[in-house]
Amino acid sequence: MADPCILGGRQAACLISRRQLPVAGLALAAGCSKVPPRPKARVFIAKAAHYNVDLVSLLERGIEACGLEVHGKRVLLKPNLVEFDSSTAINTNVAVIAAALEVFRKKGAASVVVAEGPGHRRDTIFLAEEARYRSEIEKFEELFVDLNRDDVSSVRPFATLPEIFLPRTALAADLIVSLAKMKTHHWAGATLSMKNLFGLVPGSVYGWPKNILHRIGITRSILELNRVFRNTFAIVDGIVAMEGNGPIQGTPKAAGVLVMGSDLPAVDATCCRMMDISPDSIEYLRLAEDLGQTSESQIEQCGETLASVKTTFRRA
Amino acid sequence: MGAEFSRGRLARLRDLQNPDGGWGYFPGRHSWLEPTCYALLALFPDSISPARPQDRESWLRGWNYVRSLQNPDGGWRPSAGVAAASWASALALHLHLLRGVTDESFRQGIGWLLKLRGTEGGLLERAIATVWKGAVEYDRRFKGWPWVPDTSSWIEPTAHTLLVLKKALRRGESAGVPVDLCRARIEEAENMILDRRSPDGGWNYGNRRVKNVDLPSYPETTAVALLGLQGRPEADLTRAIALAKRYFTQTRSRLARAWLAISLQNYGLEVALEECGPSNDILVTALEAIAFPQGGHQWLTPVS
Repeated sequence: MADPCILGGRQAACLISRRQLPVAGLALAAGCSKVPPRPKARVFIAKAAHYNVDLVSLLERGIEACGLEVHGKRVLLKPNLVEFDSSTAINTNVAVIAAALEVFRKKGAASVVVAEGPGHRRDTIFLAEEARYRSEIEKFEELFVDLNRDDVSSVRPFATLPEIFLPRTALAADLIVSLAKMKTHHWAGATLSMKNLFGLVPGSVYGWPKNILHRIGITRSILELNRVFRNTFAIVDGIVAMEGNGPIQGTPKAAGVLVMGSDLPAVDATCCRMMDISPDSIEYLRLAEDLGQTSESQIEQCGETLASVKTTFRRA
Repeated sequence: MGAEFSRGRLARLRDLQNPDGGWGYFPGRHSWLEPTCYALLALFPDSISPARPQDRESWLRGWNYVRSLQNPDGGWRPSAGVAAASWASALALHLHLLRGVTDESFRQGIGWLLKLRGTEGGLLERAIATVWKGAVEYDRRFKGWPWVPDTSSWIEPTAHTLLVLKKALRRGESAGVPVDLCRARIEEAENMILDRRSPDGGWNYGNRRVKNVDLPSYPETTAVALLGLQGRPEADLTRAIALAKRYFTQTRSRLARAWLAISLQNYGLEVALEECGPSNDILVTALEAIAFPQGGHQWLTPVS
């Protein structure tokens, strides 16, 4: 489950970040006149007290509010399926996945698949069964791709690596929907739509867990994956979220929200504010300026107000 | 589990062999080293039967695919398109021992594995651990094998490598095995696995305790860790074996049940997988065939 070298990996990332900060600062200062101002990011918050509400309508409203074009696209729904423990809320709830499937099909996607590469357990289909994906999503096995064991292609370079191998199904998708779970994370602070992309890295090449990402540094790996996969949309399942010792051993937290948007840093920063976590305390959000908006002033909030859903998450 | 169960799985494996001789993780997908090695292990008995020449030919195509994945440095690529060698090199070496091949390719492979080691426990990490007590608790003297070079040791790659090194050690210097180094790495890696045992007696993926919280074990990692510890008589594995037996009756993971069946039989217990339908997962299919009482699980012991 956990990484024996995480200290080394994470610290390495911190050192790299610190070393890079002056350079990055200069580059930003020098380059700010050339970079056009990024438009405000739209983030939609929906209240959902439980999983039996009309999730399809909520997702449709969110997708429309965010102006997402779906028609004709090959869509990959990437849930957060890591581990199963019936006493807590580790994974994206199956009701959210089923609703997303229905919505993206209705909106004219050329194809919709569900795909995930769990970081710990090797028997992905068993996990999908435990999490009720297999029993509650019709023809699940026909729709599902185990990204840990998909055919792979090389992407060059990746952080400190000359190349990384990534699943062809993910590389070929026109749109990856990060169907993340809202959780605190004992190393990264919070795991939301951006960190959910860790599941795109194949275990068949890098192992279980994908320790290479920890060696590179969690922050840097999150940022690099989000640089590789740019055609993304976030739907964060915070209906029953997780607080405390996440991402596996935390406790359920009924936050009653879905948070959506095309700008993943903006969605994650909004989730953090909702969780009463400063986005500035999350290193990958602090360093995500090239990927999206994290400043509250640059995020156009729609749907429910942040104040109406804000709740304090206990951290590890 | 009946002989029919096993025959059905072996027939399915034969049907799913790719034109390049290897097997993918799923039907019709690119070949990978791991499912290929386990498919070949499952099909080995038929391949040496004089009555089944076609099976011998199929097996040799798989063998040639495995040989084609070796890098000049001795390690094996996990798939033709992936350049860097990985933990699954241990599985390729296992096949060499099964066939009695201890040629230069074998010696280079053993050399590559003996050079590979987990990178955890460096100076920086130790310094931080002094300040941040309880972050990750393990004995930094003991390292095993990583999934890929330049990363930390984990239970599964360590256990698979231990098994093949123990088998190689029996071939001795005459097979080009550096006996002293091999013995030292085996002892260290066994200590690593024993040190990282979860409080419940089984094994998690890499650690027993993180951030002052005990980690639970898992069925498949417990089964594989036990395989790696075979032949270590002084280790008290009573609790681990009892836990593995319990997991075998409880888990619904076919992968975990196959590993548990293999492991428990190698510890002398009688267990049998129940009849179940075919799986789309070729690795599971191969492991279920191996888990059959006469299916080849005995080759996953140090003395075979």
